[in-house]
Amino acid sequence: MAILEIKHVSKFFGGLAANSDVSFEMSEGMIMGLIGPNGAGKTTLFNCITGYYPPSKGEVIFDGKKMNGLQPDTVCKLGMARTWQKVRPLAKMTLLDNVMVGALCRTNSLRIAREMAIEQIKVVRMEHKINFLAGGLPIGERKKLEVARVLATQPKLLLLDEVMGGLNPAESDELIQLILDIKSQGKITQMVIEHDMKAIMRISDRVVVLNSGEKLAEGSPQEIVNNPEVITAYLGSEH
Amino acid sequence: MKPFNPLFSQRGASAVQVTVGIVVIAALFAFPQFVKSPYVLHMMILFFLSTLMGQSWNIIGGYTGQYSVGHAAYFGTGAYTTLILLSTKEIAPWYGMWLGIAASIILALIIGSICFRLRGPYFVLASIAVAEIVRLTALNLTSITKGAEGILVIDIPAFKIGETVITDFSSKVPYYYIALVLALVIIGVTWLVQHSKLGYYFQAIREDQDAAHSLGINLTIWKNSALVISAAFTSLAGSFYAIFVKFIDPSTVLPLDLSVQIVLISIIGGIGTIFGPVVGSLVLVPLSEALRSNVIAEGLINSGLVSETSGIGIFLKEHLAHAHVLIYGILVVVVILFMPEGVLGYFRKMTAKRKGGKA
Ligand SMILES: Nc1ncnc2c1ncn2[C@@H]1O[C@H](COP(=O)(O)OP(=O)(O)OP(=O)(O)O)[C@@H](O)[C@H]1O
Ligand SMILES: [Mg+2]
Repeated sequence: MAILEIKHVSKFFGGLAANSDVSFEMSEGMIMGLIGPNGAGKTTLFNCITGYYPPSKGEVIFDGKKMNGLQPDTVCKLGMARTWQKVRPLAKMTLLDNVMVGALCRTNSLRIAREMAIEQIKVVRMEHKINFLAGGLPIGERKKLEVARVLATQPKLLLLDEVMGGLNPAESDELIQLILDIKSQGKITQMVIEHDMKAIMRISDRVVVLNSGEKLAEGSPQEIVNNPEVITAYLGSEH
Repeated sequence: MKPFNPLFSQRGASAVQVTVGIVVIAALFAFPQFVKSPYVLHMMILFFLSTLMGQSWNIIGGYTGQYSVGHAAYFGTGAYTTLILLSTKEIAPWYGMWLGIAASIILALIIGSICFRLRGPYFVLASIAVAEIVRLTALNLTSITKGAEGILVIDIPAFKIGETVITDFSSKVPYYYIALVLALVIIGVTWLVQHSKLGYYFQAIREDQDAAHSLGINLTIWKNSALVISAAFTSLAGSFYAIFVKFIDPSTVLPLDLSVQIVLISIIGGIGTIFGPVVGSLVLVPLSEALRSNVIAEGLINSGLVSETSGIGIFLKEHLAHAHVLIYGILVVVVILFMPEGVLGYFRKMTAKRKGGKA
C-alpha cells in the first residue's frame, strides 16, 4: 500500500496556481526526489501535505488517513515531519534543546527526550556542538540541526526541503550519505526537494518534476534525465 | 557564536549557588526579628509583591514570548474577588483568593481564545484592549464593584487554624511573611516550569511558532497553559495587594499603567530568566518609591545642583512625583539600547568577558 497518496492537489494564492492538479504516490521505504525550477511550487506542496495550510483542492492521504484540515502538530504526531527550506532554528536554545523539543513529541520525560536527542545529534555528527546556541551556528550546521530535530520526532515519512542548499560539497556529501543511511535502515520513507541534479539522481528511486505548479513528469532518475520535455522546460532553462 | 557557559546552565545549580540561596532565604525569614521599622518592612513587602507580579508575567511573556500588556486584568480580578467577598459575604481572604484564581483562570481562557489567534504586535494590542474592557466593566458595574468609589475594608479577619489565632494582621510582619512565601513559591514554580516539558515547549513557541507547530506542539493548548499559570499567580498578587492596602478601585488595580509596570519588571531585569524579575524589582521598587516620596527632587535641590526657586527646581518638585511613567519610559529605552537582555543579562556578559570567555 502507498504510504502517501497525493490526489489532484491544487493550491491557489489569489489568481496564482502554485500547485495545480498534482497527483502521485509514494511506496514505503522509497526516496522520492521532487525537482523543478524556482517558484515551481515544491515548497507549497510540502506546506499542503504537512498542514501548514490546507490544499485548495484535492486530497492528501497518509498511511490510509486523510490529512486535509489537520494541523501541523497533529500531522507531526501521526508521523510526518518536514524541514524548512529557510531554516528555523530555535535561536536562543542550544542545539541539544532544539532536538529535545522534537523528541518531546514522543515522551513527557526530559531524561528520555535528552537520550533520544543525543542519539540523533550523533547521527548528524554534531556532538561537539551540543551545548551551542542554535542561533550562532553556521548555515551548514543549522541545516543538520533541522534534520536531527525532525528525526527526533520519529517520523515514518520525512520531507526534506533543500537541506543541501548553501552547503559546501563535503557537507552535501555528508547529507547524501545520511539520507542513504536512513533509507538502508528501512524505517523511514523520504521525499527530498533539491536543486542539485547530481545529488537527486544519486539518491532518488523515483523523481517527480514540477513546473509552474503542474506535474510535468514522473519516473526513474534515468527516465527523467532523458525526458525531452524536462530537458527543455527545466534543465534547458538552467543550462 | 556563543559557547555554552556551565556557570549559567539552565540545568542544575552548583553547590555554591545552592548554599547562597539557602543563606539568603534564611536571612529573609529572620529579617523581621531584627528589623522592626514598619517602613523597611513595607518596602520589602513591595519588593516581594513586585517579584511575584514580574515572575508571573515572565512565564507568558518571557518564556512563551507572548507579550501580554493586559495583566492588570488578572491582578484586578484577584483583588476585586477577594475584597468583594470579604466586604459583602464576610468570606475570609484565604478562601476568597482561591475564587479569585478561579475567576482569573476563566478570564485567561476567554482572553486567550480571543488574543492567541493573533501574533506579535496584534497580540499586544488585543491584550491591552481586553484588559481595558475589564477595567471599564469594573468601573460601570457599580452594584458589585462600587465603581470609581472603590472598595474599602477596615479589618482583615484574624487567620485561625482551629481555635488558635495565627495572626490578626495588626502589624506588617504577617504580610511580610505571606509576601515572602508567595515570592518564593513563584520562583519555585518558574524553576519547575523551566525544568520540564512545559519550559521547552514555551520557549520553542517563543523562538518560532511555525517551527514549534511543525514539531508537534499544539499552539493553542500550550499558549493557554502558560497564560493560565501566569494569570493564576498575578491574581494571587492582586488578592494580596487588596488585603495589604485594604482599598481598591479601578484606577489602582486595573489601569493600563499597572499592566505596563508588570511588563517592565521582567524587561528591566531580564526576560525568560528565573532571577530577571527579582533583579527588575530591586531596580524598580526603590525607584518608584524615590519618585513617589520626591527624594530625587529634594536631593537635587538640597545638594545645590538645582536652585529651589529656579524653573527647573519648581518643575522637579511639582512634577517629578507624577512623572513615573516618563521615567519608566526613559529607563526602558536605556535598557533596550544598552542592555537588550536586561540588567541580569548585562552583568552575566560582563562577568563572562572578565573571565576571558567570548561575549
Ligand atoms: N504564501 C504565499 N502567498 C502568495 N504566493 C505564494 C506563497 N507561497 C508561495 N507563493 C508563490 O507560489 C509559487 C510557488 O512557490 P514555492 O515556494 O512553492 O516554489 P518552490 O518550487 O519551492 O521554489 P524554490 O525552488 O525557489 O524554493 C511562487 O510563485 C511563489 O511566489
Ligand atoms: Mg522552495
